Amino acid sequence: MMGGNAHTRWWVDGPVGVIVLDNPPMNVLSDDNRRGIREALAEFRADGTRAVVLTGAGERAFCGGADLKEEEELTAETVGKFLQRGDETFRALREYERPIVAAVNGWAMGGGLVLALWCDVRVGSTRARLGAVGVKVGLMASNVQLSRLLFEGRARDLLLTGRTVEAEEAHRLGLLSSVVAPEALMGEALGWARDIAARPPDVVAALKRAVNTALDPVVAESHR
Amino acid sequence: MQIVEGAGITVAVVTGACTGADFESALGADLRIAGADATFSSADVGDPVACARRLTQLLGEARAKEIVLGGRTVSAADALRLGLVTRVVPAAQLGEAARALAQGLRALPPLALRAVRDAVRATRELTPRDALALEHEHFRRLIATQDHKAAVAAFFARREPAFTGE
Repeated sequence: MMGGNAHTRWWVDGPVGVIVLDNPPMNVLSDDNRRGIREALAEFRADGTRAVVLTGAGERAFCGGADLKEEEELTAETVGKFLQRGDETFRALREYERPIVAAVNGWAMGGGLVLALWCDVRVGSTRARLGAVGVKVGLMASNVQLSRLLFEGRARDLLLTGRTVEAEEAHRLGLLSSVVAPEALMGEALGWARDIAARPPDVVAALKRAVNTALDPVVAESHR
Repeated sequence: MQIVEGAGITVAVVTGACTGADFESALGADLRIAGADATFSSADVGDPVACARRLTQLLGEARAKEIVLGGRTVSAADALRLGLVTRVVPAAQLGEAARALAQGLRALPPLALRAVRDAVRATRELTPRDALALEHEHFRRLIATQDHKAAVAAFFARREPAFTGE
């Protein structure tokens, strides 16, 4: 099985589905990407895929985030729809029953960082660079997910400064689970995905759900 | 320990021993950086329970317990590992690092900066859905600001933006 649109390609490799964002040079997030991710996940679900790898084409960027030209044209009326389209995509990653591995092959900034953060496992190449750059353009993004992944202390540092986090630091912070040479990245990501795919799928799905909800205040209340 | 401020964001700049009331006010700052000579201890704080809660929010359970339960003194290197501080520099360079950080904060669009700070704070108490809704509320407001438009224009013109807080 394989599919695609102008900026997105996807296919199935054994038990693993692969999605590639292909909008050079920086793989900025287009509606084709947002729709492509959702379509790919729906097809993978129907296909019984057990794990997914999400990556960016080329070696420069995983995903450069929102297209500033598209964003510039947003009005009070259209901004709601824009946010909703982003949300639907992030929620599709979050709520997909099987784990999703982000192979961070270059820049992940702004909305591109959000995309990587909503995945379940992140591995990176030595060229991976992460930036919560929203604040630098007078906006905000990735607040919620960064705060959950890093807790407040470190999340604040990245969100308030918008600074660039290189691969090694991202590894130390726990934002990347491993860092490998660029040519080894797909192998590393597929390795993670195949290990996940080899485990009992119901258990894996339950574990993903459990971790996703473990920090929710409402759920935590009953376990105090 | 000293608290410096840039664009309304507070930074605890820690040198030497940071204990008791100093430790508590460091936790209250938005950001924390330290000299390599700094040490931290929660052993003699005024309100140990509030301190433990705050540390858990900042660092997560495992790291908070490492600090509060044994009452041990934490070195600058360990503070960096735990995320208690986000930067450690040689003691002689701490003043310069603090100035550069404050200056960097002042160069950012102030409305977005404050919105991020407030949203991160609020996220503590919210479900992910409510936290996202809050993030979107801020986004809608910020995207209409002059500073956002100035940032985008500067990006396309490849120059440094200047922000007015409007």
